[in-house]
Amino acid sequence: MKVKGFLKDVGGASRITKARISAIDNASPVPVKVDPIHEVAYALHPGRIELVVTDIRPANSTCKTVRLQAADGRRLPLFRAGQYIVLDFQIGDSLVSRPYSISSAPLCTVGEDSFVEVTVRSGDGKLFVSDYVWNELKVGDHLSGIVGCGDFFYEPLRDAYHVVALAGGVGITPFASMAAEVAAGRLDIDLTIIYGAQRHDDIILWKELAPLEGEHVHFVHVISGEDPDWQGERGFITAELIKKYSHEDTTYFVCGPQPMYLHLYKEFDKLDLPARRVRFEVFGPVKDISQYEGYPQEAKGKTFALTVVRGIHEDVIPVRADESLAVALERAGIRIETGCRSGECGFCRSKVLSGHVYVSPVSDGRRAADKDFGYVHACAAYPLSDVKLKVPIL
Amino acid sequence: MKFYKDHYDVIVMGGALAGLSSALMLADKRLDILVLEQHNLPGGVATSFVRGGMEMEATLHEMMSIGPKGHRLKVGKFFDDMGVDIDWLPVPEAYHASLPGLEVTLHPGMERFAHEVDAAVPGTYDKVLALLNLCHTVMESVNVLSVTPMSKPKMLLKHEQFVKTAGYSAQEVIDTFDLPKEAVDLLSPYWIYVGNKLSDLPFTIYAFLMGDYVGYGSFVPHKFSHEMSLKMAERAEALGVQIEYRQRVEKILVKDGKVTGVRTARGDEIHADYVISSAYPNKVYTSMIEPLSEVPLGAIKMVNGRTIGLTAFSVNLLLDATSEELGIHDYSVFYGSTMDTDHIFENYNGLGPYEYVTCICLNLANPDCTPKGMCSYSITVLPRPEGWYNVTMDNYDETRRRIAGEMIDMMSAKNGVNLRDHIQEIVIETPMTVNRYTGAWNGCIYGYSHNMKDHVVARLQTIEKDKFIQGLEFAGAHGISGDGMGPQVTNGRKAAKNILDDLMAKEAAKK
Repeated sequence: MKVKGFLKDVGGASRITKARISAIDNASPVPVKVDPIHEVAYALHPGRIELVVTDIRPANSTCKTVRLQAADGRRLPLFRAGQYIVLDFQIGDSLVSRPYSISSAPLCTVGEDSFVEVTVRSGDGKLFVSDYVWNELKVGDHLSGIVGCGDFFYEPLRDAYHVVALAGGVGITPFASMAAEVAAGRLDIDLTIIYGAQRHDDIILWKELAPLEGEHVHFVHVISGEDPDWQGERGFITAELIKKYSHEDTTYFVCGPQPMYLHLYKEFDKLDLPARRVRFEVFGPVKDISQYEGYPQEAKGKTFALTVVRGIHEDVIPVRADESLAVALERAGIRIETGCRSGECGFCRSKVLSGHVYVSPVSDGRRAADKDFGYVHACAAYPLSDVKLKVPIL
Repeated sequence: MKFYKDHYDVIVMGGALAGLSSALMLADKRLDILVLEQHNLPGGVATSFVRGGMEMEATLHEMMSIGPKGHRLKVGKFFDDMGVDIDWLPVPEAYHASLPGLEVTLHPGMERFAHEVDAAVPGTYDKVLALLNLCHTVMESVNVLSVTPMSKPKMLLKHEQFVKTAGYSAQEVIDTFDLPKEAVDLLSPYWIYVGNKLSDLPFTIYAFLMGDYVGYGSFVPHKFSHEMSLKMAERAEALGVQIEYRQRVEKILVKDGKVTGVRTARGDEIHADYVISSAYPNKVYTSMIEPLSEVPLGAIKMVNGRTIGLTAFSVNLLLDATSEELGIHDYSVFYGSTMDTDHIFENYNGLGPYEYVTCICLNLANPDCTPKGMCSYSITVLPRPEGWYNVTMDNYDETRRRIAGEMIDMMSAKNGVNLRDHIQEIVIETPMTVNRYTGAWNGCIYGYSHNMKDHVVARLQTIEKDKFIQGLEFAGAHGISGDGMGPQVTNGRKAAKNILDDLMAKEAAKK
């Protein structure tokens, strides 16, 4: 300690000022450009990167698996099994993006041949982007995408060691990723995948999944269609069936089509589990917004004018009452960043400057203060009048 | 397509608290302002996120310098004056100190605080109150002097205590009060909000913290810190500020020693007379100025001669039981094996186990912050970034999970309830998380370390020496007032004031 009687000292300010000047005068003149924290943050979350399609192969009779690698050959981000990738497509004049659960394991991003895979179902001529992927996308095509989005993954600090995954249709994809990670010894859980399918001999990704079955990966197929040869579980996934494959403390993950969710909400109610043990992947875009509580029926069938504000620039485009603001923007070729397309992730946060919109209660993932100031997630907001919307310049 | 005007008076890089404070103050003076924010919402780390349909606070522990309605302190008054109407909720206590042999809850109000210390460590009331009074006096001087330049003789006359303590560390000044160790321990926890050990922390900064927090208490916005950030942004827009989200500035354009504008990652080149940067000078002077030949050697020495402050590691939990059921009784708890800040600081140089944590249960100030029957709980430590330099993409997940697990188990043992049995949602924030969302150099939330070689008073004295490019100002934790959400408002106002002063000088020169 310098001076006990500091209260007599009036020279302190000069001393510390000299100390500061001298520290800076004596410092190195060599610029330090590298920020090691940023390097890891950027490797994990590089944002949108350029990808190239390096393989396309069937995953069953209705689905294809598409392999993607970085166009510049870099290592892809180490995502967590269960997360999704957002892919951007230019289809005609439309600029659209879609989330796909990554069906390959995080392990596949490690090493020189770093890749991710998505498994996409045929749109049967009814789904704009799925049909494009199914019919048009080919090896060598370039796409941009964001790898590793969403909160649907196993978290050991939160979840039980025993995991029961309930999948329907192409909802098997996040669990295919988890199963491969478990089988490789990189994810320490006991995983039982209960999979609802039509037939046992036409299961999505079965060629990849079957060899993973082992000490900590188990499959239970529940066949609902005509399938005379099938000896195992039949019908739909019920509370009893879930219980049969559960342990005393189990975490449940659910991914599948919306009718399956609506069915399983009721089955899980019967099981009376703590909410923290049951995790559903996002709901997906709603099929018919007019069916939701509080939707003003008089808006049905109408088309409105959507004024899109980007900086000092404005465009006016049409928007149908039954489509989200994000869909109208994409069709008009105005890029908007979307992630989950379920109203949850907030990538497409935008501000309604005037007009009225409807946000369904099942897809309202907004912050409380955002609601007060007219912010919406454009993927989950439907016009009820002409609307003026401010979106980021992309 | 043209998204921007040909020219702005000022471009503000970064729509967090400092940048928005600058924008508000300049727009209030009718200047034409563009704010470019890289994320898709305002606030930087002053934000919230939604998990499982529930909103969670990202970082705010407590806002200082707000003050109750009718007795606003400088930040609260600035918000009021600017028409930023935030629904402030008072934090019920100063803090609970949970240290070996000490379990003491302390409340704001200097006399009450001194009584509570005295109850735990008898016979200390007078000395503690004298120390708090000194802190309060110095704080009031700081508030005056940070905005009003003053001659040295006048300063000595009107701000004697401020002048006489300026050359000493917090430790040195506290020691002169000759308090028992336990009382000093109870007076030490706030060091964590300024990120340096008491032996190297300017007393001026310590005094400001104690005078403000203990004198007047602290506050949190009702709808998380996003309410504060958003209301600032909304008010700025109402005043005519153009705010564009998802716009990362890549380059600051400089010609003949003077700023001319910026270029964004998207490729837009936008011109302005002034640029306010929330990016750290370290990043600006080493890779953002274009051309780099415009960066004088002095700027590099300036950033190399200062020490980057601490970063943060935080475990944010939504628990499926009430605070009562979980044995959590205080809003803010400082808990550790020691209150020796030299030791804690040393411990924060590494990758854990971290021995000293600060815990916040938001429900105890804001009961609506979770659905009924649940509670929001965060556990935070403040590591030095260097301790994280060996973390890679491959061991990142296991490292953060190991550390988070240690912190959860530490608080479970203390509270007598296994928190792991109640985790509905968990979000682990690391130095990398801070960098990802804000771009902060080294993930550092504390700007430059408040230490005896970079003293806040010295920063004010050498303000002109720190200027290297005309028209370029900085607003963020790297500003003079340093870290903390309240001080960001002050840093932002300071940057705005520098521009207004410069404009006035130019006007005067014309005449």
